[in-house]
Amino acid sequence: MEKSDEKLDRVINLLRNTKPLLGSTVDIEREVINEISKKHQNRLVISDIIDFLFGWAYIGWVRRSLITASVLLVVFFVWQQGIIIKQINYLSSQPVIVESEARSYLTDFSGNKMMLFKLFGNKLPAQNVTISKKQMDTLLESVNDLQTKYKDLIDLIEEDPELKKYIENKLTELNRTKIKL
Amino acid sequence: MTDLKLIEECRSGNLENFRKLIETTSPFAFSVAFRMLGEEDQAKDVVQETMITVWQKLKKINSAKAYKTWIYRIVINKCYDQLRKRKINPEFSVNENTWKLISDKISVEPSTEMENSETSMIIRILTNRLSPKQKAVFVLSDLEQLSQDEISEITGISKSGIKANLHYARKSISVMVEKYL
Repeated sequence: MEKSDEKLDRVINLLRNTKPLLGSTVDIEREVINEISKKHQNRLVISDIIDFLFGWAYIGWVRRSLITASVLLVVFFVWQQGIIIKQINYLSSQPVIVESEARSYLTDFSGNKMMLFKLFGNKLPAQNVTISKKQMDTLLESVNDLQTKYKDLIDLIEEDPELKKYIENKLTELNRTKIKL
Repeated sequence: MTDLKLIEECRSGNLENFRKLIETTSPFAFSVAFRMLGEEDQAKDVVQETMITVWQKLKKINSAKAYKTWIYRIVINKCYDQLRKRKINPEFSVNENTWKLISDKISVEPSTEMENSETSMIIRILTNRLSPKQKAVFVLSDLEQLSQDEISEITGISKSGIKANLHYARKSISVMVEKYL
């Protein structure tokens, strides 16, 4: 054991006492000065920014990892912003129905309610309502149904002259001359 | 080693004075890099990259002692990058001639000079199984003869970590020496 320690010490002494010789530094000086001059001439804004942001990281792989992570974060942010803008544009292009018109129609039938609102200073809020396709379909179906029934009713009245005359007289009595049979 | 006055002159952007700084710094930077990497050409590349980094970051230095520690740190980190680039060679075979060379050298006067190529062979064979950190601690402690405080400041490893890495490095080299010498 002692012998192997002795051998180890002698090997380490051998390496310690043998300084690696560089020789002339002229080649290194020339290369370094050339590189510095080249960097000075070809200063790229991006390289300066990278040096400014990551110059504190001497270890190559740490610096490269930080640069890669930063680039990925920026790309992800831009992509997200693109998606958000696309969604906003889509929603902006959707049709909007203003409910205030329907509300004012209803107040014709509930005139007292309107009077109360005016007395107490309350205002009817204007609301925008978006209706779905299903609601639109239901509405159209109702209108079609109503038109069909109205047509059937008119046909019935036309077939019976006495009935027609009776209804006309009644309408005249009630002063509903706008409706013509 | 290097006086503060020269560093101050280089900070002003004087390339001529920077040549002098390269002349004084390169030999010891080469010694560390060569002992870490075991290859002359790679060691010279590390020295060049180190001096370019020194030029770019010289404003951070405010004392000659800080300059030396800073140079060691840059050299060691660049050596880490080089060592990581090297492919791991699982079929590394022991060179009989190298062991004969070592045996011859340690059996004669300890102050025997060696060629860079001989030193390179010895370093590569002895430190082949060491990790970059173990190599750094071994080189800085046993070959460059720095204190634990200085090694801790250069590598960022704690004192207990330095002791552990050094112990393992010596043990690994000792096993090789015992087996082949």
